[in-house]
Amino acid sequence: MSRLTVILVLTAVALLAGSALVGTAPISLADSLTALAGQGDAATRTILWEIRLPRAAAAFAVGAALGLAGAGLQGLLQNPLAEPGVLGVSAFSALGAVIAIFFGFAAVSSFAVPAAAILGAAVATVLLAFAAMRGAGSVTLLLIGIGLSSFAGALMSLALNMAPNPYSLSDLVNWMMGSVANRSWADLVLTAPALMVGAALVLVAGPGLRALSLGEETAASLGADPKRTRLLVIGGTSLLAGAGVATAGAIGFVGIVAPHVMRPLVQHDPQRLLVPSALFAGIILLAADIAIRVLPFQQELRLGVAAALAGGPVFIWIAARLGRSSS
Amino acid sequence: MISVDGLSVSLAGRRVVEEVSFALEAGAFAALTGPNGAGKSTALKAMAGVAPVEAGNVRIGGEDAGALSAPARARRLAWLAQARPVAWNLRVEDVVALGRFAEAPEAYDRMGAEGRGAVDAALGKADAAHLAGRPFQALSGGEQARVHLARLLASPAPVLLLDEPCAALDIAHQLSLMETLAAEAAAGRTVLVVLHDLELAARYCRRVIVLEAGRLVADGAPEAALSADVLGRVFGVQRGTGGALIRKPR
Repeated sequence: MSRLTVILVLTAVALLAGSALVGTAPISLADSLTALAGQGDAATRTILWEIRLPRAAAAFAVGAALGLAGAGLQGLLQNPLAEPGVLGVSAFSALGAVIAIFFGFAAVSSFAVPAAAILGAAVATVLLAFAAMRGAGSVTLLLIGIGLSSFAGALMSLALNMAPNPYSLSDLVNWMMGSVANRSWADLVLTAPALMVGAALVLVAGPGLRALSLGEETAASLGADPKRTRLLVIGGTSLLAGAGVATAGAIGFVGIVAPHVMRPLVQHDPQRLLVPSALFAGIILLAADIAIRVLPFQQELRLGVAAALAGGPVFIWIAARLGRSSS
Repeated sequence: MISVDGLSVSLAGRRVVEEVSFALEAGAFAALTGPNGAGKSTALKAMAGVAPVEAGNVRIGGEDAGALSAPARARRLAWLAQARPVAWNLRVEDVVALGRFAEAPEAYDRMGAEGRGAVDAALGKADAAHLAGRPFQALSGGEQARVHLARLLASPAPVLLLDEPCAALDIAHQLSLMETLAAEAAAGRTVLVVLHDLELAARYCRRVIVLEAGRLVADGAPEAALSADVLGRVFGVQRGTGGALIRKPR
């Protein structure tokens, strides 16, 4: 493990513990620490182990999934603005989840929502990869992503209109905005297989991503297999984004910001970027989730909103810098 | 070492390379030339396995190239494309290390001693040792071209194909690149280089292959392959009074 990875892991562990100490229930630091160690009264233990820690773990897992998906997609499309949220993958994934809930599939099996979210993510990713294969440039891909996002939003409204048992608008907002409040260990266990397989697929594609830096033809001449790399990243990011959305709804920009910050620290190598991006994105969401619980708002700010408030300006800044260097 | 036999390639339904045949032995240093659109780059791509061979075949060291896996081919043949994008601001050593991808798909820092040694030696041969550690996109066009050359030289492949390696190089570096390639050929590698500069080709290469409209029209020692007849007919130029090439009046 590199020193960077060690620092990120230690930071994540510290934040996970810190997240357990923060919340609306007034629990003293000493009581929290006792409960974390498995001692003290049952109510405090329940609050820490069944409410705060799963929530923190969910924030980290979703962030890590989005960070890894972002770094993988950026390597594949050779574009620093690529990310599940920007490219419409998260929106399609949310659409899948909404369809599963509103049409009652969720009642049939608890795997229906994650499966539908992953399927939705796969549809968008395959469309994007198809466009990229046919030579679509950065701008075209981002425009397609905007189109996919809006289209998914429209389809979600349509699903809402046609659903046999319409939920309230606030449920739709839940999926569009993203939140990790009230997540349980069971929710995490449900999506864990998809997260792990997705992460493995993207990590296996790592060396191929570095070869792809020299363009597809040269990569092929070097003995890499660009088609295999593409399949691995598409499959992996669909699973990651789908699992992330199934857990927390659509959360944008984390997948852009984390790789952007980590890239100079790994010599801009698309392979070595993967693990630090995942860890750092997990840290960002974990910190954001702590922040929204500490901030004195009447109603708790949604995690996706907080991520967009911080990530949006960074996205615009990266895009503006890109435009300057290419013009 | 490498031979093409009746090679034909079509791009978007149009024949770009038409029944081209030639063979290069180990230690050969040959130039492939011809006017724009003659099919030079496409022929090279077909030899490198990145353009589909429509008819004929390519043999490397006696083996049918079409039957080789991508890594096996990469260990036998290295290709420098005409367009050489580098998507990220990779470190120079990491770009060069990609030349050994089929051996070890690692970044420079994680390579074994043998791989790192090959990368360092290649940077030295390409006159780019002083660029090590620099981010690629901060280099000038000429420096980037030398790093790409180093990537090719870092490969263990006995056959090197280079598509216009002299583009973006100043005259001194063009000459030094040709000398480097000549030394590689003298050491036993087979080098085929696409050149537009006929003087440079004639001066360094012992063999010149001329393509016109996809067909091979001349193949031999420079003075024979670049005869007055070929110069006039294929390139539309002739020798002026000082010996320099000038445009031939139609």
